[in-house]
Amino acid sequence: MGTTAEYNATAGRVIIDEHQGHPGIKATTLSYGQINDEMLAMLDKPRPSYYLLLLGFLMALVLGALSLAIQVDVGIGYSGISHPIAWGFYITNFVFWIGIGHAGTLISAVFYLTRAPWRTAIYRSAEAMTVFAVMTAGLFPLLHTGRPWLAYWLIPYPNERMLWVNFKSPLVWDVFAVTTYMSVSIMFFMLGLIPDLAILRDEAVRKGNKLKAMIYAPLALAWRGTNHQWVHYMRGYLIFAAIATPLVFSVHSIVSWDFAMSSVPGWHTTIFAPYFVAGAIFSGLSMVLTVLIPMRAVFGLQDYITNHVIQSVSKMIIFTSIIVGYAYASEFFIGYYSGSPFERAIFYYRPFGEMESWTLLGDSKINFPQIAFWLMVFCNVIAPIPLWRWKIRNNPLAVWIIAALVNVGMWFERFNIVGSSLQHEYDPSAWGEYWPTIVEVGITVGSFGFFFTLFTLFAKSLPPMAIMELKEATIPPMKNAAKGH
Amino acid sequence: MSKFTGVWAIFEYLDETTDTIEQVREQGVQPTVITPCPRHEIDHALGNPSTIIPWIALAFGALGCLIGYSLPAWTASDWVLPVSGKPILAIPPFTIIGFELTILFTAIHTLAGLAILAIIDSFRFPIPNAAKKYPRFQRDRFGVVVRCETDKIEEFEAIMKKNGAEEVHVEKD
Repeated sequence: MGTTAEYNATAGRVIIDEHQGHPGIKATTLSYGQINDEMLAMLDKPRPSYYLLLLGFLMALVLGALSLAIQVDVGIGYSGISHPIAWGFYITNFVFWIGIGHAGTLISAVFYLTRAPWRTAIYRSAEAMTVFAVMTAGLFPLLHTGRPWLAYWLIPYPNERMLWVNFKSPLVWDVFAVTTYMSVSIMFFMLGLIPDLAILRDEAVRKGNKLKAMIYAPLALAWRGTNHQWVHYMRGYLIFAAIATPLVFSVHSIVSWDFAMSSVPGWHTTIFAPYFVAGAIFSGLSMVLTVLIPMRAVFGLQDYITNHVIQSVSKMIIFTSIIVGYAYASEFFIGYYSGSPFERAIFYYRPFGEMESWTLLGDSKINFPQIAFWLMVFCNVIAPIPLWRWKIRNNPLAVWIIAALVNVGMWFERFNIVGSSLQHEYDPSAWGEYWPTIVEVGITVGSFGFFFTLFTLFAKSLPPMAIMELKEATIPPMKNAAKGH
Repeated sequence: MSKFTGVWAIFEYLDETTDTIEQVREQGVQPTVITPCPRHEIDHALGNPSTIIPWIALAFGALGCLIGYSLPAWTASDWVLPVSGKPILAIPPFTIIGFELTILFTAIHTLAGLAILAIIDSFRFPIPNAAKKYPRFQRDRFGVVVRCETDKIEEFEAIMKKNGAEEVHVEKD
């Protein structure tokens, strides 16, 4: 790539014709040293507002921890979960957070393989979100068991009970899927960090900060950036991307089979796997924008996370919104077309409530599932429609509002699936109602506190953008421009 | 502390680095190159070196797949639990475990392979301690390290200076 790079002393930057840089990332016209400096400046001592934000998230986390302590102390009966509704807020949260965890691997692996250049600036943060979201999600099935201290019974190992787990159960598939996904996500995240940790180590040495150098040196695993290390590393990274890609699609498929393998009306459907995966990508990308748009404003990262990046993620949100909207409609159509009165009943119940007669208003009684259903439709199908307009996609505030609404909608979609079907199975005498207790709400709030606390700490302790990949994407320093490729 | 005899140099520009690599290789020596980020120009200049990482991934992925199918099959046979006349050894549900363990084994052993190969390479292709401690290689400078006999040092030093090295260091241990 030829270049007409000139150093502009007034601007303090290398100025290059933008058309020669990476599409959509103005920062790729910066020099290696400038990228280093700007990225490392993000890790400087935080402002008081950072601590205020962290305090807010910590308070939510403490609320969750207190609620959790009550729940564990008193027992699962303290939640609103009771026959016939065995799965409530906890499993809703599990499915929601696993979904949020899909965007990171999608951006870091799938868009790496498809060579989407806009991923460079956002993949590190998205990957961190994946790790934190899956950690959050993993807490819920354990908590939901009622006796989380016996959770290791889910792992197949030779034991004195002479029993093995049932490998034909979707719940055991879930254990394998989620633990594999968490392990691979953490390894992928750490692998990407190694060259950047070496940068942090050497910068600490260069600036004479011995403490930081001592911390970063073991984390960097003696990385020197030799060609021998790079050749193994890049091929290993490619393999990680290649294996993480089917993993992304498999995890939420397997989570969906927790439901679809049962014979509960509203769950027993073949559309569930793609429906869940599309929903996971939809919610994950929305969470990426919900977090990164404020981060971009706080750290002044407009040259890295450009409007082009936000537009690209927005387009993916539109795409997945259409799939999710189609799935909603398809569920209703199949409910009607199946001819099964139980399927028809559940798909009447979700929007309109109990069906005393075939009137649209039913008994006019609004339960939690009806609230969840209409919020789901509004936030996931209607709210993203404005993103079709370029002007809206180019307005970060508007995109942020839509992304936040999608997050709300996706949480309620998870509840709509998990909560409503169990309230309305085959036998009307076994129908029931579910309202969460204060402890469940507290733990749900706490899960958001847990996720955002971890992310806030990450943003100031590790490079939130992949410095090495930004350098790779930028125009290399050439003495003789004609020699460029 | 590893003993090193040879020359190492610091370059600001990528094209100067690749020119140096090519000229060093013409003398029959394969240099070690240190870069702040991977560049395919460097790979081309070095003759596109290969790695055995894909083979490690393939071998352990296959092992994971084998374990993923055989563990459920063995446990199902160890404690037979007939339900509704369904098969005891059921391939479709075991495929999920097989798939997950294929991915997990591939990932763990790829990472382990990277670590082990890095350790092996540090012995096979040593670089001088002064070059290890130079802090700008991770920032914005390229390094070329040539390990050679004492009588060849001047020749390689001249190549590096001719190609515009910022600094050239001679190491004799």
